[in-house]
Amino acid sequence: MDFQAIHDHLRARGAPGLIAADEPRAPNKKEKDPGRSGHSFVTVEPGKWIEFLTLCRDDPRLGFELLIDVTATDPKADDPNLWVNAELLSVSHKHRLSIKTLVPKERPVIASATAVYRAAQWHERECAEMFGITFEGHPDPRNMLLPDDWVGHPMRKDYEFPKEYHGISCE
Amino acid sequence: MGLFENTFEENVLTTKVDWLLNWARLNSIWPMTFGLACCAIEMMAVGAAHHDIDRFGAGAFRASPRQADLMIVAGTVNFKMGERVKRLYDQMPSPKYVIAMGACATGGGPYFKYGYTVMKGVDRIIPVDVYIAGCPPRPEALLEGLMKVQEKIRRTAVVRKPARTA
Amino acid sequence: MTDTAHKGSIQLSEESRVLPSGEREFMMDVSTADLEVNMGPQHPATHGVMRVLIRTDGELVTGAQPHLGYLHRCAEKIGESVEWLQYLPYTDRYDYLSAMNNNLGYSLAVEALMSVEIPRRATMLRTICAELNRIASHLIAFGTYGLDIGAFTPFFYAFREREWIQSLFEKICGARLTYSYIRIGGVFNDAPPGWLKEIAHFCDVFEEKWKEYYTLLIENHIFVQRTANVGVVPREMAFDFGLTGPMLRGSGVDFDLRRDLPYMIYGEIWDAGAFRIPVARGEKGTLGDCWDRTWVRVVEMMESLGIVRWCLDAIEDGPVIGEIPKVIKVPAGEAYVGIENPRGELGHYVVSDGGKVATRCRVRGPSFTNLAVLEDLLPGTLLADSIAIIGSIDIVVGETDR
Repeated sequence: MDFQAIHDHLRARGAPGLIAADEPRAPNKKEKDPGRSGHSFVTVEPGKWIEFLTLCRDDPRLGFELLIDVTATDPKADDPNLWVNAELLSVSHKHRLSIKTLVPKERPVIASATAVYRAAQWHERECAEMFGITFEGHPDPRNMLLPDDWVGHPMRKDYEFPKEYHGISCE
Repeated sequence: MGLFENTFEENVLTTKVDWLLNWARLNSIWPMTFGLACCAIEMMAVGAAHHDIDRFGAGAFRASPRQADLMIVAGTVNFKMGERVKRLYDQMPSPKYVIAMGACATGGGPYFKYGYTVMKGVDRIIPVDVYIAGCPPRPEALLEGLMKVQEKIRRTAVVRKPARTA
Repeated sequence: MTDTAHKGSIQLSEESRVLPSGEREFMMDVSTADLEVNMGPQHPATHGVMRVLIRTDGELVTGAQPHLGYLHRCAEKIGESVEWLQYLPYTDRYDYLSAMNNNLGYSLAVEALMSVEIPRRATMLRTICAELNRIASHLIAFGTYGLDIGAFTPFFYAFREREWIQSLFEKICGARLTYSYIRIGGVFNDAPPGWLKEIAHFCDVFEEKWKEYYTLLIENHIFVQRTANVGVVPREMAFDFGLTGPMLRGSGVDFDLRRDLPYMIYGEIWDAGAFRIPVARGEKGTLGDCWDRTWVRVVEMMESLGIVRWCLDAIEDGPVIGEIPKVIKVPAGEAYVGIENPRGELGHYVVSDGGKVATRCRVRGPSFTNLAVLEDLLPGTLLADSIAIIGSIDIVVGETDR
């Protein structure tokens, strides 16, 4: 199914937390719209994250068996929200879906998708240490790639590079 | 070598003894398998049949540091790995040599500017004998680096007293 | 993990008897505890710097916990700090065994945001290089897997062909391992004269050598005994863990991005019947074991030859790079492009705000996702089998850690 069909099916099934579909559009000088290039995605409420993913996995016409990626983005240093992005892939129907949800920076908490897809476990650990997002219900929230005593969340736009670590200069 | 190390004056006999000991050592350097990143693949290519490292006597890659003479740090060292690098270096018995292979081990490589967890060169934690430039260096470059280590060994004073630097 | 050595206790019981020799024999009650062994980060068989904390009960592994991060090189932060084209050499270095595919994934993702026409000759050259790199990567996977199992000879045979591929790449772009050849808009350099003929010759020679690899390692009954019925990944587990690539096809799932969600000209090549997708059938043991995954990789090498040959027939003269400005400013937007890397699906999620530097360049490495099964696969196996399992997942630590 292409993106339009997937979105329509989600609407028809009353997908929990579905806000809108964001599709690429050409720039429109009259409406002062700079336009957006790239691929389409759906936006979802963070409170209904798990229900939405469960529907995507279990619905027979959507059939997203694989969770490809869970990641986050910090769009700008002064933006109050972080984006949490997920990518799903269906092997039986051969289609993809990109999902985005917004999480406020003052309280970056979202439910962990580990119960829905096991693949989320490691991706969420990496997200948590890089962006400072707390995934509630995660079975193993340790640092994944950074040393255990690393200070700060490197992928945030306001991250300051450290000057030294354990006595060795970082410069 | 213990009892006889660096005890004798330089004369014809001790020079010949040193030549023999150094010849034996430089033709049988056993590297440790310390491939960290992309340079490790070129190190494996050096170990393979086309650029044979075994003709230099250095083909026996030992996994354990206690059996190795040469640590070829092939790849990027970051802070998490750096502690292990230091520990492995300490576990190697003397005489030991270190080759910093590639741009990352020499000075941080392409991750020099924005790599927050990359150690800018492995010589911040261990003493390096030979630096090899390249990203990754060609296998021939690694062989030349090995030959430079061999030259260093050739000049070593084992039973002779070390040369006085006035 | 703090508790280390063998905490045992020996209780001498009261029972004893006198042997014919006159000695007294006592009965002993020995209780043992699990041993926690650290495997890596420096280890000959972990395919790089990966650390696995293994809890063993004698020879049986009762728990495993992989620890990563020993090669974390901040690739994603660098993606947000350097310009679009300047990031290309960093893409080579995450999965350094298949650098062409990494370049390709990144270039396709950025091109999805731009509206640039890629010339056909560039696409052909891209496909040839990507498939040759797939062969080179699978050769290392197969050679080093033999090394882990204890077979030294396939490693040298694999490197013999790999040196030829590397010299082919050196002729076209100057580098042996980290190419930065496939760039945004096309490829960087046109093929030198005689290059395409040499590749045709390579294909013919490789087809003969492939039969050697098959009989030397894959059909070797010691290899079969070491890998069949070991590390079985059933279909549901493969879906749950998000496995892609040979790991998925080794579990019997018929899915390949080149055929099912085609990018570049793979749809055209598939319709021409130039290649097939090998899917394991559980020939030598259970479906989804280590042998199946290795079999998929070895047969994929042969199928890549078919793709290369089709491209050699179809390639025509023309420009090799599209119309792109010297300093690339990508229009605002976001895109996700996933391609079939030799290890699975390599995804690039790029976000642009219209400037010279990316806002986000997320790299979804297949080795990172594929490695997660280790926590579930290792418990219950013997220690020697755990080496076989780690080798069959075919990870590259540059990609798990980025």
